[in-house]
Amino acid sequence: MTIAIARSEKGTVAEAVRELMDTFGSGTMKMIIYFASTKYAPSEISAQMQSAFPLTTIFGCSSAGEIFQGKMAKGSVVAMAFNDASIDDVEVAVVKNLRRKIAVRDAYLSFERHFGEPVNEMKPSNYLGIVLVDGMCGREERLMDAIGDGTNVLFIGGSAGDDLNFQSTHVYANGKSYTDAAVLALLKPVAPFELVKTQSVREMGVELVVTKANEEQREIVEFNYRPAAQAYAEALGVSVHELAALFPSHPLGLVIDGEPYIRSPKHIAGDSVFFHCSSVEGMPLSLLKLTNLIDDTKETLAKSIAKLGGVSGVIVFNCAHRALELEFKHLTDKYGAVFAEVPTVGFNSYGEQFIGHMNQTATMIIFS
Amino acid sequence: MAGKIKQLIEGIIAERSKGNEMLAKVVKTKLILKGINPAHYSDQSEDDPAIIKKLENMRQNLKH
Repeated sequence: MTIAIARSEKGTVAEAVRELMDTFGSGTMKMIIYFASTKYAPSEISAQMQSAFPLTTIFGCSSAGEIFQGKMAKGSVVAMAFNDASIDDVEVAVVKNLRRKIAVRDAYLSFERHFGEPVNEMKPSNYLGIVLVDGMCGREERLMDAIGDGTNVLFIGGSAGDDLNFQSTHVYANGKSYTDAAVLALLKPVAPFELVKTQSVREMGVELVVTKANEEQREIVEFNYRPAAQAYAEALGVSVHELAALFPSHPLGLVIDGEPYIRSPKHIAGDSVFFHCSSVEGMPLSLLKLTNLIDDTKETLAKSIAKLGGVSGVIVFNCAHRALELEFKHLTDKYGAVFAEVPTVGFNSYGEQFIGHMNQTATMIIFS
Repeated sequence: MAGKIKQLIEGIIAERSKGNEMLAKVVKTKLILKGINPAHYSDQSEDDPAIIKKLENMRQNLKH
């Protein structure tokens, strides 16, 4: 084994963990990452996973649907295990109290102690960062800012889900379950890897500039110095009453060098539009429309695999919005099939991270 | 006064990327996500204290 995957949809935590153990067998594992439906009590699954694999670095989070090689699932737990032929070293740190203050310094100090190298000197070709964050905390933008300010290592990941209940999402590490927290994992993979983001949208040629915003609340009050809801609706040629129905198919995006960083609208309140990701005043956001999610994902994956010259495993952080779009279009099975030939685990997330925080995107780690 | 923002941006990109183009692109993306688009600042750009503070924090955070 270098990279192995396992899945269970057993009814209890004990049965599910046992099934994962049976699949992985008795080999020595350096690291396990897992994503679990909230049907498994968060504190129990975290504790039992750590007990089942006491010598392994284990971390994960709750999900809003799971992804497993060739399959999109619900109500299950999926896991990927790495031995020392695939991961040279790994260290995990928990950043707590995100709502109070974002402070990654302690996490970075623990990485520096573990790897014996300052994080601001680590080369992004040698290290890979994974971030899993409470999907209900609303602090992902600040977290990614803080992470990115302190190191050139790229962190990629997703915001935890809770089976679309939007009540409580959890991240798991050290046999514990956390809310209002993020798990940061710093890995030193043995072989080259690729980090990618993919989203299936194209620009419609209309730009809305954020002229008044409440960043903390992810609220946009004005676009182009006009009430946000009105300006957004007019850009789409509809009335404000019809706007919300078009949110899933027409999100907005900050486009950098042709790459959209999507901001998905959530709801309208008065003249304002609230989003799942904040925008800064002065930011130009492009009006977007959806394209073919299956083809785009397939192409992105194929390109990255070709670049690496092969693949031994893929971790996918797939936006729950994309999963809903796939369900609506009856394409869920077809999306699962995109990952049929590759050992894959992943989950449907409440936000995705790669350099920054975004929505309606799939971020992926591809291990050669 | 003018031009300090451009100077700071160029310093941050140079310091962090050390000439690596891929890293320079990542740093530019980080700046744009913070609301600071390097392309919008020239030697004549006014020294906006809020932007200068953001950039100095960014530079400081890497040194810690």
